[in-house]
Amino acid sequence: MVYKNIICPVCGGSCDDVQVELKDGTIDVQNACKMGNAKFQEVVSSHRLLKPTIRENGKVKDVSWDEALEMSADILANSKRPLFFLGSETSCEAQEVGLHIAEYLGGVADSNATICHGPTVMGIQEAGCVGSTAGQAKNRADMIIYWGVNALESMPRHMSKYGVFPRGYWAKKGRFDRTMVTVDPRKTPTAVASDLHLQLKPNTDYELLSALFTILNGKEPHPSVEEITGIPIPVMKQTIEMMKESNYVGIFVGLGVSSSYGKHRNIEIALNLVKEMNNYTKCNLGALRGHCNVAGFNQLASYLYGYPFGIDFGKGYPRYNPGETTCVDVLREKDVDAAFVMSADLVNHIPADAAKYLADIPMICLDIAPCPSTTASDVVLPGVIDAMECDGTFYRLDNVPVHFEPFTDSPFPETKSNEDTLKQLFAKVKAKKEA
Amino acid sequence: MEALLNTGSTIDEGRLAKGGNKYSEDYKTECAVCWVCAEDFAALGCPEKVKVTSRDGVHSVAVSTKVTESVKSGHVFIPRSIWANVVVEPSTFSTGSPLYKGSPVSVEPTDDVVMDAEEIVLKLYMGEE
Amino acid sequence: MAEVILKPIGNFDLTVEAEAITPDNFAGKTAVEIGEILIWQAPAQAKLSEFFSVEGNGGSSAEDTTITIDGDVPRVKRIGQEMTAGKIIIKGSTGMHVGNTMAGGEIIVEGNAESWPGMEMKGGLLHIKGDTLDHVGCAYRGSWHGMTGGRIVIDGNAKNQVGGGISGGEIIIGGNVDNFCGIRMNGGLIVVKGNAVRTTAAEMTGGVMVVGGRIEKFSPGFEMEAVECDLKFDDIECAGEFMKFTGDYAIPQKGKGTLYVSYENNECL
Ligand code: SF4
Repeated sequence: MVYKNIICPVCGGSCDDVQVELKDGTIDVQNACKMGNAKFQEVVSSHRLLKPTIRENGKVKDVSWDEALEMSADILANSKRPLFFLGSETSCEAQEVGLHIAEYLGGVADSNATICHGPTVMGIQEAGCVGSTAGQAKNRADMIIYWGVNALESMPRHMSKYGVFPRGYWAKKGRFDRTMVTVDPRKTPTAVASDLHLQLKPNTDYELLSALFTILNGKEPHPSVEEITGIPIPVMKQTIEMMKESNYVGIFVGLGVSSSYGKHRNIEIALNLVKEMNNYTKCNLGALRGHCNVAGFNQLASYLYGYPFGIDFGKGYPRYNPGETTCVDVLREKDVDAAFVMSADLVNHIPADAAKYLADIPMICLDIAPCPSTTASDVVLPGVIDAMECDGTFYRLDNVPVHFEPFTDSPFPETKSNEDTLKQLFAKVKAKKEA
Repeated sequence: MEALLNTGSTIDEGRLAKGGNKYSEDYKTECAVCWVCAEDFAALGCPEKVKVTSRDGVHSVAVSTKVTESVKSGHVFIPRSIWANVVVEPSTFSTGSPLYKGSPVSVEPTDDVVMDAEEIVLKLYMGEE
Repeated sequence: MAEVILKPIGNFDLTVEAEAITPDNFAGKTAVEIGEILIWQAPAQAKLSEFFSVEGNGGSSAEDTTITIDGDVPRVKRIGQEMTAGKIIIKGSTGMHVGNTMAGGEIIVEGNAESWPGMEMKGGLLHIKGDTLDHVGCAYRGSWHGMTGGRIVIDGNAKNQVGGGISGGEIIIGGNVDNFCGIRMNGGLIVVKGNAVRTTAAEMTGGVMVVGGRIEKFSPGFEMEAVECDLKFDDIECAGEFMKFTGDYAIPQKGKGTLYVSYENNECL
């Protein structure tokens, strides 16, 4: 049977036009990109994690779901201050249960944003955000700026589905109606496909933005900025002119802006520049988010607990201070004593000092395939693949919620979804704590 | 050679990681690679492999080299992966986010073997186990 | 003046939040009563005496109380938070948020302090003899105003976002700073005797900042006005020749701040 309009659970694009056909033992996928297709193959792959395991005296062994959940609950109930890393490759529904367990235990809850677009979110907190849905840019934008993002490789269909190529209501000729600019220290495939590439020096995004803003304000930037950024002032002026003359400028930022040094300050000044630019033309800024539901955690945590990520429940109420209550920092400072990692390969993605400590402390990992995090875990709970095997909600890159429906069932009789697994775990944790 | 390390996605890194193939040979071939420009490659003596070391000198990782026009002299790139993250600066400047872009590292030729992802976890992160 | 001596004896495997350690809180209490005060090792609360031995009673009022922490407490946060009077001497290094929102009195840290010392401080003196990290006297996330009064003196180096959003008071850094020193500054004074890496005084709309050393990457939105000699701000003196810049013109129509940069160390500007 062919299933249509399936949502791809891989990157923040949340493409909603995937078509799959399940035959025995194989899956045929249409419309998804390379990355998306690879994950759809997980439904039938040979390396899929199918049995819970625990590590005992350095040896990994298969156990029943009940034993694995028991041991996970033991680890969490005995921990003084657990870290919950509620990854983005699962539904908001599962993340919500995770947040509640973290609150119940007085732990720290964080998600992929912290090692991804966390600074973007912090920048938005500082400056506010002129945002839009992806459709706005698609229909209106005649100038697209990819700043610090290699869209072709990190969100492969962004350019074809939302950004550059699609024909929009006011950009009828698609690519021919749009000017495309890339700002990146590397000559990425995206940069190659652009009309203008500003190859700035690494870690100088703030200076470049600041100089652009100074030009917009009718002043001359200090000449040293040419040497600092590697971009000549006339090119900066030309860029500002191009923006002013456009009808609609869509700026998409990536980790190049939020993760290079400057971090949330880069985003803050970019957002302020965008605000000011709206005196001349329409302009908005959005983040290209790498993991499918990374935006969802921010939304969810914000409306449930007031803060978008890095939430410390230590005092019984939520507190937030990136650098103090965020995953990498609490690990580096050894300020948690157990960890629950869901649908994110944390060990793979954090710097060595933090990864080492994470491997050191008792860790439970919920995932679908073997990866560094499962290797370093004490308990591994197999994951159910959202949007393929269970329904739920993701938030797309532009913070639009998308409900997804499965085309097959969870391979496990013991659990229907990650949400289900977490609810079972929560019940066990509660039973232990209240015994 | 002192350099600034940039990390980020490549399409095959994404395909392999999302497809659950982090322990495959292909993943290692794609990710355990340090991209350098021709000029720096020559200055390093055209090595097949390099050892990349974090600024504090504590962590290092051996990876293959790849010559590319996409980075400038003094800058290197490693696809987002466990190899890159071994040497990424762990300080977050009070933002929660490590320096995935622009971490200071040193790069030198090496004969060390390039470990696979699982070996890195077992040897570097989990000690002798 | 009554002196209370706290000696760290506890298990600091997880960090401890000790906002209860202030002269205001200790005044009028005996050593035993002080030992009963609850502090956090999140998510649990425990008696202060589980972490510190307590010697000496508090004074009759906060002014009359000195607290000496006799040892290193790098994993203890929030010492002196919201204090209004009296004195705290830390004979070693301390954790985050020392002197957070303090309004009066004096804190002396003989070692280093972690990030956020003197966040949104309103008055008093915070003197750190060693180094510190980020957000000295800075505004909390999303807030527009950092410190509004008092003085912070750092003898060593500080890292990033020193004096973010400062509206009043003074910050004097004896050593170097990294990035975004004086970000969004709108009043007050920041003096950096050493070097700054980049984005110095970025987005400033008021106040005065002085950099005595070299700025590696100058902020693009500043314009030079004049050269001035030997600056003096009340009791704070900065000798030598300084280039006077105004800005930050990257920020639209918001008034302007003054940035003095040592001439001798930044001739290329
Ligand atoms: S662009 Fe993203 S959401 Fe769309 S198919 Fe590719 S991986 Fe899936």
